[in-house]
Amino acid sequence: MKDLPAGGPPRYPVLLSAAGLAIFLGVWEATVRTGLLPPAWVPAPSAVPLALVREIRNGIWITAVGDSLSHYATGVIIGSLLGITVGAAVALLPRFDAAQAWVARLLRPIPPLAWIPFALIWFGASQTAAAFIIGVGVFWLNYFASQSAVRAVDSGLIELAAAFGQGGFFRRLWKVVLPAASPGIFSGVRSGLGQGWMAVVAAELFGIPGVGQRMTEAAGVLATDVLVLYMLTIALLYGLTDFLFELITNRAMAWTRQ
Amino acid sequence: MDTPVTKAPPAAPEAIVKLQGLAFAHPNDTSGRNVLAGLDLVLPRGGFTAVVGPSGVGKSTLLRVVAGLARPSAGEVRLLARPRPDRRPAALVFQDARLMPWRQVAANVAFGLEGLHLSAAERRRRAQEALALVGLAAEADKWPAQLSGGQRQRVGLARALAVEPDLLLMDEPFSALDAITRHTLQDELLRVWQKTGASVLFVTHDLDEAAYLADRVVVLGGTPARVVHELTLDMPHPRLRGALAEEVAGLRRALEQNFVGGAGI
Repeated sequence: MKDLPAGGPPRYPVLLSAAGLAIFLGVWEATVRTGLLPPAWVPAPSAVPLALVREIRNGIWITAVGDSLSHYATGVIIGSLLGITVGAAVALLPRFDAAQAWVARLLRPIPPLAWIPFALIWFGASQTAAAFIIGVGVFWLNYFASQSAVRAVDSGLIELAAAFGQGGFFRRLWKVVLPAASPGIFSGVRSGLGQGWMAVVAAELFGIPGVGQRMTEAAGVLATDVLVLYMLTIALLYGLTDFLFELITNRAMAWTRQ
Repeated sequence: MDTPVTKAPPAAPEAIVKLQGLAFAHPNDTSGRNVLAGLDLVLPRGGFTAVVGPSGVGKSTLLRVVAGLARPSAGEVRLLARPRPDRRPAALVFQDARLMPWRQVAANVAFGLEGLHLSAAERRRRAQEALALVGLAAEADKWPAQLSGGQRQRVGLARALAVEPDLLLMDEPFSALDAITRHTLQDELLRVWQKTGASVLFVTHDLDEAAYLADRVVVLGGTPARVVHELTLDMPHPRLRGALAEEVAGLRRALEQNFVGGAGI
């Protein structure tokens, strides 16, 4: 087994990945420095850290990130809670399920970003409007995840609850249904966290203060280094929220890994 | 629970459960076919009663009706247990251990204690006692997925024992285990039964198991099912597994007489 076939696993995958990234950045830097691509189209990667220093010095970076985080958190939390609640109710209450079925079928296919005009009419270019747009998308993801997770709860566990005096609706919900459905509900929340950042940028491109608005401003004056800086900022924020949520999930869902 | 289980003071002190003219049809079955009909049965307090019968005859249904999980379509179920705020009158042990994977062993055992008039410390103590009774005191902090099949079944038994039931209902609890584990758990169950004084209603399709454990074996048969045969076994425990051939043969005959068509036994 000494000779791995070509295409077998590399011996130092981390080194290889680092080399790949270095080559990517090097080629990018070279094309800009040699004038192959004009800086008004693409900034040199080395210009981005300088842009970061400037944006932090003049206080814009922290304000933009703060604004974005604030309506992101509002939209994601409210959208997730409502989506989980309504989805679970649909799965548990057949009459409610039937009553809402066609309303959901009507509203569900509307892309969340199509709500932007109405959000602006109702709330103006405000934090509330952005939170609303973010919340709409997050709601549907959680609505479906929680609905199918609750439907999939083992009926044997429901019988167990009844056999041991925990058969009432709320006791059953709290002690059996929600814990049993929690892995599915958590994965719904997680996809909502990703979708939320997409909606943040889109909403802010329409003039709501935050990272996206700063990107529009930078694009207007062809400050492509600033543009790339905020693209990477969004990527960092998304990566960070996803990582933190994964930590929480691993803690709460320790039992699923046994 | 809105099932018609009448909790009356014991009319005859020796009975724990009285079933009279019991009938059961599945609520969704509109054909009016009964699974059980005209079933009369009295379980003596402190007794170990086994219910045998071929697969699908309605043994588990009978157990669920007694447990209050299914509503009889006719007849009466009387559970003659004194209601007490820190105990449950009946507890069920399932064929699959049916543990909640998100609770550690001790919390699974404490499940039935939640909602009773017990402090958190008392619930912990009762759960620990029940675990000790089935020899799993050391596994209290494990997850169900870390246990063997036999251990999981013991946890299911401990969960039922923790509520200190007057009536212990068991639905083929050892049928999914290998023979050696099954025999060990049968002996443990006898020990626990003698120690706690609970009445046991034990459903099984294994005639050897019924003859080894029970002081009375009830044979269910017919469509709809009723009690077709009863056998009292007054030999003391521990019994010799090999010495029960005559009793088992008697049970087999009773089953076969009621299943001329040759339903699987």
